[in-house]
Amino acid sequence: MISVDLAIAGLAIGAIAALSGIGLLVTYRTNGVLNLAQGGIAALVAYVYRQMAVEWGLPKWLSAVIALAILSPLLGLLLERFVFRPLARRRASAAESLVASLGVLVLTLGMCAGIWGLGSKNDTPPLFPNKSVGISGHRIGVDTISTLVLIVVCCVALGVVQNRTKFGRQMRAVVDDRQLAELSSVPADRVAAVGWAFGTTLAGFTGVLLAPRLQLSPYGLSLVVLETFAVVVAARLASLPIAVFAGLAIGILQSELTQFKVDGQFADVYRSLESNLFVVALLVLLLAIPKLRELGDAGSAGRFSSRGAPDAAGTVEERSKDLVWKLAGFIMLLAPLLFRPADLRSAFDVPAVALILLSMVIVTGYSGQVSLGVAGYAGLGALFSLKLANGDFLGLPRLPGLLAILVGAILVAPVGLITGYPAIRRRGLTLALTTFAVGAVVSQFVFEQPKFSSGLYVNALYLGGWQLNDKAFYIIELVGLGLGLLAVRSLHRGRLGRALLAVRDNSGGAAAVGVDVRNLKLIAFTMSSVVAGLGGALLVQGASSFSSTTFQPIQSLLWFTAMVVFGADSAVGAIIGASLIVAIDVLAPSGSSTLAIGILALSLSWLPGGLASAVRGLVRFVAQRLADQFVEPEELPRPTRRTPVPAGLGAAIPRPAVPADAATWASQQTSRMGDADPAGASATAPAAVWVSGPLAAGTTGIEAAERVAAERGLTLTSFGRALLGTLGAGATGAADLIPAPAAGQVTPSGSRPAAGQPAGSVPAASSSNHLEGGRR
Amino acid sequence: MSRAELRAVGLVRRYGGLTAVDHVDMSAPPGLITGLIGPNGAGKSTVFSLLTGVEQPDEGAVMLGDRDITKLRPDKRSRLGLVQTFQVPSLFTSMTVRDNLLVGVENRRRDYAGGLFGRGIRGNARHDEVVDEMLASLGLTDVANVITGSLPTGALRLAECARALCTHPDVLLLDEPASGLDAAETERFSQLLRRIAANGVAIVLVDHDVDLVFTVCDQVYAMVGGRVVAHGSPAAVRADPTVQSVYLAQGTKA
Repeated sequence: MISVDLAIAGLAIGAIAALSGIGLLVTYRTNGVLNLAQGGIAALVAYVYRQMAVEWGLPKWLSAVIALAILSPLLGLLLERFVFRPLARRRASAAESLVASLGVLVLTLGMCAGIWGLGSKNDTPPLFPNKSVGISGHRIGVDTISTLVLIVVCCVALGVVQNRTKFGRQMRAVVDDRQLAELSSVPADRVAAVGWAFGTTLAGFTGVLLAPRLQLSPYGLSLVVLETFAVVVAARLASLPIAVFAGLAIGILQSELTQFKVDGQFADVYRSLESNLFVVALLVLLLAIPKLRELGDAGSAGRFSSRGAPDAAGTVEERSKDLVWKLAGFIMLLAPLLFRPADLRSAFDVPAVALILLSMVIVTGYSGQVSLGVAGYAGLGALFSLKLANGDFLGLPRLPGLLAILVGAILVAPVGLITGYPAIRRRGLTLALTTFAVGAVVSQFVFEQPKFSSGLYVNALYLGGWQLNDKAFYIIELVGLGLGLLAVRSLHRGRLGRALLAVRDNSGGAAAVGVDVRNLKLIAFTMSSVVAGLGGALLVQGASSFSSTTFQPIQSLLWFTAMVVFGADSAVGAIIGASLIVAIDVLAPSGSSTLAIGILALSLSWLPGGLASAVRGLVRFVAQRLADQFVEPEELPRPTRRTPVPAGLGAAIPRPAVPADAATWASQQTSRMGDADPAGASATAPAAVWVSGPLAAGTTGIEAAERVAAERGLTLTSFGRALLGTLGAGATGAADLIPAPAAGQVTPSGSRPAAGQPAGSVPAASSSNHLEGGRR
Repeated sequence: MSRAELRAVGLVRRYGGLTAVDHVDMSAPPGLITGLIGPNGAGKSTVFSLLTGVEQPDEGAVMLGDRDITKLRPDKRSRLGLVQTFQVPSLFTSMTVRDNLLVGVENRRRDYAGGLFGRGIRGNARHDEVVDEMLASLGLTDVANVITGSLPTGALRLAECARALCTHPDVLLLDEPASGLDAAETERFSQLLRRIAANGVAIVLVDHDVDLVFTVCDQVYAMVGGRVVAHGSPAAVRADPTVQSVYLAQGTKA
């Protein structure tokens, strides 16, 4: 039954997987970061190795030394120093670290694709001599033996270092609690750096060992490495020996499967199982193991916000900034209608990709779950709609094209519901990996199967007997996007939106007041899958062909990273993101958009809140400069901060003296800086009062500005008056045009300017004693 | 509408070999404040978790009125009228106080279908009224539009309590509501509790602060080692010799 030769063959792959697993575990245990970039780093190192050995003709040993002993650890050190140390410094959540590692993945993939192209290379020289040794009649490859030796050396070295040396004790202290360890004068950064260097070195080994066996291509290789995550999941993110054992076992099992022949209907499925056991194992293990031993707050729901780490649920000021954002998105969407036909065709992807990004906004931005399987749902939507249009879907009648797209997307809902049900019970990393595994399994067992995905014809669309031309199709796409935005808006507003936000903020508290957390998450997940399906169907219709590579699992990671970069809780961010991705892809060489997103994702280390918040910051800065123009320069003294009422319950109300919107702004600043420096934080509040006063007023901008100015004994300049006039008109117009949710709509009542309360009119004393009020 | 009584019948909870809760019976009648005291490790927090549904008992049942709610999740219990607050106030930190309260009002009944479409839900105006009244009666009107993430503990306790009250509960379970409050705040808070109970709500209070429990409660259960060792009026429990020796003599109460 068990063939020794097959086992030995499987051992080769299993050993590489185990090696990758060791690297992942060491990085995770020392840094608390599950390095999703492992695959990208492996690909990059393999490409560099091949470049030196093949293109430059360097000796193989020299190439190997440079790639594995210099480049790989250097990558780790750089990543630690410039990406993950800043994150650890500001105690970023596990979700943020996850996104940062995705950023590294996307960046490395973009580099590979940009430099070496997306095509596959099969001339990577093997690291170890291509010889085999005979052991009692069986041949075992030198590379397999070497890899096994490497594993043993790694394990022994790690064991000795961890248990016998001072560094090992420091390592365990850092793993336990980085901040606490630092307080006990443990050089945590050094420990983290060593962990990273070790992890990336093993990633490099994985890449160089895998490259000759597979064809070297950026996405292909990194996907294989990502599949080795099965190994660390089996080890529950903790146990090194189990990881090694699981790697070897899955490798051997996968190899043993080839000796059986399965005929009939499932022959194709079985054949894919032979080459995809790792990904199946990943999914099965994730479903079977209810809780991984995640470090730190990894179990908590991720918080992604385009408005800085502590979410400001929409002050009036923020809202006016969003208008700029919305206007930009709207113009970007309409512009292609004026393009030349060829360019219009390129723009077909924009609404489709925007819908796919939007689907993740629903799950990640609003309910705080990380979902890395969106390509699977998008692909299913595409597949279903095409099957429906061709009339061979589960015996359903052939549907006209447009209806097929809609029905196809809706048919994704049951899939989303079924896959979402186990997924929503998981959180943090586990959820992220589960959704990724779902996407990967769907890709390998559905999209890659000729049985399902061949013979799909994309027919021209008809509406009322008329064949739609390109412009009409683009408008249809915009209508689809509008539907998606409507779905997002309904999720973002009203009781459902509030309940989702409540779940994201504090799911225990939400359950305590009767919010059905599970069902809510499931609703969000299902809606998200439908929106993704719609996007996928439109994507395929626009491209006029179904290709499994469009929906490969890595694509989910790219899209997810893009979504976070452009503001995870911003529907307009999704549109702008999609526009930029498509534009870069059309204008620049392939891989450029990937590269750009990777760079932007890494900047998250320095810009909490992502690009969207950086743009917002810029807009705020400009608005403040502009605001300075509103009043005569000599009368510019900024309103002084009213002293907050100190002591007791009076302190319960933070700075009641400033207007409501400014108070929230200030409090948001306070919470961002921590409680350590409330006074310093609130000292910055007046600047916000300054801007938000005039801008906040909307239609009655001028009167409000005049009122505020008068209160402070200032007068409006004619320039300020004119500017406010145009701003006010344009602002309200745009708000009606685009039904995208604004920040303020999270909490409509919160963003309402305190009615009938002129700025600064709340007497501090009146609100200082609300508990006494309770007795009345 | 008659308010329901919360009863625990023979609750048992074991962790491995340790029996944290050993056949505990208790009842919290409407309109009364029921206190639960005990030294560290006595099992009062476990009892609390069993009542709220965070944990499941190994034996016994939790009854709300005539209904057995032992197997129900916390959110379901909450919709039936059994609402809890937390040791660490757990408000929705990115939302305003008002919106926090709205979540409380809106989720008492299970009808998300209407909410899916955002607007036009019947009774929305009434929700706002309920919230406004609650804000006014607890003196939170001034902070109604403040994001809760920035409020200090005293106001958070109050806001959390207001949110719980917005669900129109039959039973209110409070986990150490006085922790983090100073003496004056505690005093005001206990007056608030009296007011709530006077409206016919059953309140269950778990707290380390023996003074608070003995002054505010109508009846007290004292736990030691997972069992209820004394039950009755505050004066009776205070006089109980077991309670005296095990709890009060430890210096918690001078």
